[in-house]
Amino acid sequence: MSVVELVKKVLFMEVLQGLALTFRHMVSPSVTRQYPLEKREPFPGSRGLHALVRDAETGKERCVGCGLCAAMCPSQCIHIYTSEGDDHKKIVDRYEIEVLRCVYCALCVEACPYAALTLTDHFEYCGYTRDEFYYTKERLLENWDKYMAGEKGMNYIKNFWRPRSSDFAAPSPERKGP
Amino acid sequence: MITLTINDKEVSLDRPMSVLEAARQAGIKIPTLCYHEALKPYGGCRLCVVEVERMPKLQTACTLTAADGMVVRTESEMIAKVRRGILEFLLINHPLDCPYCDKAGECELQDLVNKYGATAGRYREEKRKVPESHKDHILTRNMERCIVCTRCVRMCNDVQGASAIAMMGRGGHTRMEPFSSASFNCEYCGNCLSVCPVGAILSRLYIHSFRPWQVDTEVETVCSYCGVGCSMVVQVRDDLIKRVVPRMGLGLNRGLLCSRGRFGYEYIHSQDRLKTPLVRRNGKLEQATWSEALRHVAERLTGIKKADGGSAIAGIASARCTNEENYVFQKFMRMACGSNNIDSLSRAGFAAAQKYLEELLGQGITANMIEGLKNSEVILVAGGDPGTVNPVLGLAIREAFRRGAKVAVVGHARGLERFTSIRLTPPLFREEEFLEELLAGVSRVRGLRGEKLDVDRGIRAISDAYPGISGLEGFDELKHALLDSPSTSIVLGSGLVQHSRGHRAIFAVAGLTYLLEARLYLLAERPNEQGLIDMGCVPEMLPGGRPLNNHDYTRKFEEAWGGPIPEEDGMTLMEIMEGAKEGRVRALYIMGDNPLVNLPGGPLIEEALKALDFLVVQDMFLTETGRMADVVLPAVGWSEKSGTYTNIERRIQLLRKAVGNSSGMEDWKIINDVSGMMGYPMAYEDAESIMDEIARVSPLYRDLTYREIGKGNSLWPYHGEPLRGEIHELPAAVNGTGSYTANFYLAPEKVLFHSGTTSRHSQALMRICPEPVLRIGPAAADTLGVREGDRVKVSTSSGSGEFPLSIDRTISDNRVLLSNNFEGSGVLRLMSYRLDPVTRAPGIEGCEATITRL
Ligand code: SF4
Ligand code: SF4
Ligand code: SF4
Ligand code: SF4
Ligand code: SF4
Ligand code: FES
Repeated sequence: MSVVELVKKVLFMEVLQGLALTFRHMVSPSVTRQYPLEKREPFPGSRGLHALVRDAETGKERCVGCGLCAAMCPSQCIHIYTSEGDDHKKIVDRYEIEVLRCVYCALCVEACPYAALTLTDHFEYCGYTRDEFYYTKERLLENWDKYMAGEKGMNYIKNFWRPRSSDFAAPSPERKGP
Repeated sequence: MITLTINDKEVSLDRPMSVLEAARQAGIKIPTLCYHEALKPYGGCRLCVVEVERMPKLQTACTLTAADGMVVRTESEMIAKVRRGILEFLLINHPLDCPYCDKAGECELQDLVNKYGATAGRYREEKRKVPESHKDHILTRNMERCIVCTRCVRMCNDVQGASAIAMMGRGGHTRMEPFSSASFNCEYCGNCLSVCPVGAILSRLYIHSFRPWQVDTEVETVCSYCGVGCSMVVQVRDDLIKRVVPRMGLGLNRGLLCSRGRFGYEYIHSQDRLKTPLVRRNGKLEQATWSEALRHVAERLTGIKKADGGSAIAGIASARCTNEENYVFQKFMRMACGSNNIDSLSRAGFAAAQKYLEELLGQGITANMIEGLKNSEVILVAGGDPGTVNPVLGLAIREAFRRGAKVAVVGHARGLERFTSIRLTPPLFREEEFLEELLAGVSRVRGLRGEKLDVDRGIRAISDAYPGISGLEGFDELKHALLDSPSTSIVLGSGLVQHSRGHRAIFAVAGLTYLLEARLYLLAERPNEQGLIDMGCVPEMLPGGRPLNNHDYTRKFEEAWGGPIPEEDGMTLMEIMEGAKEGRVRALYIMGDNPLVNLPGGPLIEEALKALDFLVVQDMFLTETGRMADVVLPAVGWSEKSGTYTNIERRIQLLRKAVGNSSGMEDWKIINDVSGMMGYPMAYEDAESIMDEIARVSPLYRDLTYREIGKGNSLWPYHGEPLRGEIHELPAAVNGTGSYTANFYLAPEKVLFHSGTTSRHSQALMRICPEPVLRIGPAAADTLGVREGDRVKVSTSSGSGEFPLSIDRTISDNRVLLSNNFEGSGVLRLMSYRLDPVTRAPGIEGCEATITRL
């Protein structure tokens, strides 16, 4: 053992070095957020709860029930049931997502030809039963109103998911794509 | 031998074919759009272009016949460019609304553009706009999507023979349109639907309700509507039948279906299905649990058996049920109830004819492949309309006609109207005399064959009695055609069997078959008429067609079944009914049929059923007969059960279970349970275990397994031993006819779109054909002074009814036709009957009717 080492040992140098770090951090500003008291704005494009786009003109879902999102979904958690409406148009009777099985890959959003579906930036949801996480069409549309109100939603889609609707014509004469 | 080179691969062909077929045979894929294997090549889309050495331009592979030494290239830069161009042209007007279009996922255009097309179109102009047409009940037309491949039109004209649609307009406005403009108003076979490569023709039964990839189960099964037994694929999502599709090339129908098979599946999910067993308490049918109902049935039957013996119990089996169910049913009747009184409504047609023919000519005489019709030179059709009773068999006749065969129709056959070379209209209800006359004429030239002495004797008696010539138009032509024909087919329908002298017509047909060595086909209205007989659901025969009066045969069954088979002769159908009325039959067990509607002599049947002490009905719906029953047991239908059907060719085919959400039970299982409670346990596990037993006990089905049947080639005589003919009765004296001088005679009409109880609960079929219509000939309409659509009242000695009227050009005599397939208005109810002494079929000829305009 050299003299230097002996001195360091006697003076507890290593301990003091460690404590120095501790003291430095004691006085530096804190990065811990007091969630849920203190919330952070999600980053743009972050992937949270699903929403079905509500068409501003018709006030209805923009989804035509093509089923591509469900076909694409790797965890197979989207279920769509359609039928013929009174005017012979296709109507989406049920559009349901088992949110607990979703892996937030957003492949469904990418697959959608009409930009009719998106993941919102809302990420905090909790409930007491599994049923609460079975989102029906109505609840998914509500999500749009709640989390993607105004311009926000369409901008969100345009900026982060290239809308495929430009590849297709309008689904029917009456119904326009975005 | 033709040898050509395709993509450096040497291909040898054993017969002439197109380059496209040669390439397919060699496993080389050439894209096509207008080509379809069921249709003649057309060469319209140009997508199948290939390069052929020493030919300056690209050639269409589908129309180019392969020649020896040809060197063909199917992919090159040039070809790719041309294909890309063609597809781009097609997309000029194509809407590309794939996300919305029901065809997406199984669309040929979509797949081709995906593979060969450009990534983006260059045309910016407006696309043509054609509104989707929803005017038809069944088919939706979206002519924006039509790519003018003409596959639908070629299918309808060249294969189906309905000629209901055509291409109209020119240039970019060319589109397919039905002749009757708004609705298709056609045979609704839907074969155009199955060949359309894009979403231009869609079925309204499932439009917008699912996408092809959302189907979770696909089951290959057979149709349950008639005796042809077409193969089909049932597609299911969430335990609901979404649609029925054929598979091209699959089964004896080669991918063709008729309206019933394709659109008639909805009854399975009908709201009217029986949900629980019903038991009559204090005169009212009330819901009951299964165990209550079954115990009640077992107790009552045991009681009646104890009191009056087994012969007081009778059973009616069903040609709607599978072989397995019918086997279990007759075993139950014979062993548990101790009665040979077992028959079916098939006695009023198919079974009667079949049994008599086999007695005359030997077992298996009607076991002929439908395919054989296509190769026949002369086809004689008598007693029914193959085009409506067995539509896909009708297509084979139409094909033969187009090929140049002579089709002779005796009487009335609407489905063959444009496919008849010789039309013969013998005096009404005296067709049997005409056939005997024909037989006499043929036998005079041909002589007797000397193989079956009894039949020869019968033929001699006939040719002695008739001169063999007739003043009837077409008679000589037919006689000479038959005598000159190298291959003849005879198609016999039940119209001539339901006749009190029906055995004479059958004998004449048998004689012609025998002398001309013809192929004989018996039209079968229900899917399992043949199987029903083969399973022993006739009073005098055990499974495999073994006669009951022969101890060598019965002993084997008695050993297997563990008990004596009753010896007393059983009653046939109408005898059971008469017995019930007189009190000799006290209990009747009906499996899957509706005699009150489907038998003539309505008032008598009603009286008979009322007189019964105990009536059990097993059915999917509460039928008219069910309403009179003491216990009604809900059964399951086609696609809810497995089993086998034997079609008119005597091919045994597998019926596979596709859905299972109803509350009914399989017919065999119900009987299995009742039998157990009556002290004769059967303990079958599933339908397959029943077939295993059948294969064990019946020499006809030796070694037959589901695995083998599943391959679809279980053809007569399987691996078994058929029996030789045993003559019981030759036709009685040749003289004696009725005289028919009334103004109108009522006869049942077979409707293309209906079959009875099940079709009545299929909404699509009801939309196509919603109500019974009285059909009369134009001459009769003139005398009555009525026009199409007028309402008239029809009365007979047994009752009357009011119907709209339709004038049918194909009726040239004074018969009026009425369908029997609608609730509460059946035609048979209005008819009385006289039994044929030999076949025991109820004869319903000569039902005089008066018609008054309302
Ligand atoms: S991909 Fe879009 S339009 Fe299609 S079903 Fe899903 S959300 Fe609806
Ligand atoms: S027909 Fe085919 S290509 Fe045309 S819209 Fe339908 S799926 Fe798409
Ligand atoms: S359904 Fe059949 S008969 Fe009708 S148009 Fe199509 S192919 Fe022709
Ligand atoms: S309707 Fe369909 S099958 Fe008929 S021509 Fe058009 S694309 Fe072809
Ligand atoms: S021909 Fe007979 S078996 Fe074939 S689809 Fe039609 S009804 Fe069914
Ligand atoms: S497939 Fe050969 S031209 Fe259409």
